[in-house]
Amino acid sequence: MMQTLLEIVISGFSLGAVYCLFSLGLSLVYGTSRVLNFAHGSIYMTAAYGAWLLSDGGLGLGFVAVLAVLLPASFLFGVLFERLVIRPIRAHEHWKTVTMMATLGFAFVLDNLNLVLFGPTAKTVSPIVDGNIELGGVIVTNQTIATLVISLLAVAALQVFLNLAPLGRAMRAVSQDMTGAAIVGIRVNRVFAFSFGLSAVLAALAALLLSPVYLVSPLGGWSPFLKAFVIVVFGGLGSTQGVLWAAFILGFVEAAVISMIGATWTMPIWFIVLLAVLLVRPRGLMGKWGD
Amino acid sequence: MASLRMSQPSKTGFFAALLALAALGPFVGSDYFLHILILCFIWTIVVAAWDLSIGYAGIFNFAQLALFAIGSYASAMLSMNLGIPAFWAVLMAGAVTALAGFLVALPCLRLKGEYVALFTFSVHLALPTLLEKGRSFGTGGATGLLGVPPIEVLGVVFRTNNKLGWYYLALCVAALTVWLVYYHIASAKWGRAFVALRDAEGFARSLGVDDQRTKLMLFTISAAITGIGGALYAHYIAVITPRVLGNEFFLLVMVMLSVGGMGRFPGAVLGVFIITIGNEALREFGQYRLLILGLVVVLAAIWLPRGLGGLFDRRAGKGAAP
Repeated sequence: MMQTLLEIVISGFSLGAVYCLFSLGLSLVYGTSRVLNFAHGSIYMTAAYGAWLLSDGGLGLGFVAVLAVLLPASFLFGVLFERLVIRPIRAHEHWKTVTMMATLGFAFVLDNLNLVLFGPTAKTVSPIVDGNIELGGVIVTNQTIATLVISLLAVAALQVFLNLAPLGRAMRAVSQDMTGAAIVGIRVNRVFAFSFGLSAVLAALAALLLSPVYLVSPLGGWSPFLKAFVIVVFGGLGSTQGVLWAAFILGFVEAAVISMIGATWTMPIWFIVLLAVLLVRPRGLMGKWGD
Repeated sequence: MASLRMSQPSKTGFFAALLALAALGPFVGSDYFLHILILCFIWTIVVAAWDLSIGYAGIFNFAQLALFAIGSYASAMLSMNLGIPAFWAVLMAGAVTALAGFLVALPCLRLKGEYVALFTFSVHLALPTLLEKGRSFGTGGATGLLGVPPIEVLGVVFRTNNKLGWYYLALCVAALTVWLVYYHIASAKWGRAFVALRDAEGFARSLGVDDQRTKLMLFTISAAITGIGGALYAHYIAVITPRVLGNEFFLLVMVMLSVGGMGRFPGAVLGVFIITIGNEALREFGQYRLLILGLVVVLAAIWLPRGLGGLFDRRAGKGAAP
């Protein structure tokens, strides 16, 4: 009994930490620019293919080298995506609907590009670290520990950045009041571009950590996207604190569900949780009404 | 205010186009071209219904293909598993899909903008799993249902190879749909109330527009029409699999609507014809076809955010409105 509980706690923590990472990207972009980025999952998958190319698929680089190449590349990708696709649409009166269409279209572009380039067979990426350790009678892979530590570090760094760095504070200002931020001299467009870049970096980091566990396949981004969506809605669109809470709560729910009734029930139970949350609190745990 | 084009669209244009298409039928000759036109008509039904919910009522409904699939499956299952004549199965599929649409719309009423989009899209993403796991309910699992029986009306049997028959059947239903959606609902008082809600929500509310009830009604009607479109598709192709919920169809209807323009008749209908025919022309590009379609969505959003329908606005002087 104790052992099962410990197992659930460990796997819930590590799931929650990665979900945090992935969902924060979606939430940051929505918080600052009010764009719901349907391509987030596909960007994640594209980064996973990038990781595969750099490591097992060709160049055979180590984890740190992959990190050093992939993260800046993802940042650039996110910035260009905002600059070339999102920004031109913002001028339009119904830009919210149009950006949703455009990001969904872009998601399909990435999916099909990955399909054309890499084929339908799933790729495997070798884990960052091999081996297991034993914790109180429970066997935990080192990969799980590494994932947990790296994600927690990244989430903590992000919190520090948002609270202390000038650019991070500018992002929070924009997400609280776009017009006000522009009036006090914050370059709103630059903040948008930066938040898309940062969001892509977070997605890429999540991809690096998760692709050894889940396979890399052209449509593989939709399942994490859906999960991120449940987390972000649960926490409240645009709220960073809400995402932190929701990711860990749902991470533990998932770990418990997997351990008690089996993995196939994860998504149905998440949906029930989501529906219940939305019916009781239509704006999530800590969301603000978007306008 | 962006709602000047409230008058009913031209009736003469509608009947002229209908007559021209009806007269065209026997002269098409090739079965392949007839097939493409039949697909155009079926997609017109689906996309016009989508336009009603997303373009006019302003509900970010991304469950359109899920509703389409529910219609197809309902009709196929009713006629195959329960032996109901296909004609009645199609109508009952409309009712089933209306109910499904009603159930999807209920939680949406409490949600705002993006939450609706995410919720409806998750319905779309969850449905294939349900269909694959639902073998014991008669969904046929991952292989789907093969040999959906043909529709029979007044002794005429509409099999897949009866192209000319299907041409007129699909044309009739498509024309009825366009007539109902664009000439009655969208230009009737509550359709207009919805354009007002979409464009200036606070102002419309202050004028006493009851959005909740009408939204529910519009969504349900849109779902019913979509279900009938899906049912027709199932009986025409005679095979229905969870693959209708795959990338391809979703992309197709999205391209149709975004190229055509939401809430701007006849944009969506033009979009359907251009994209259905264009999609066939792209067949030779093989696996690059879906990539190209995705690019078309993105580029249309950037360069033509109002779609082709927006071009008609400008000609009517709407672009000059304050």
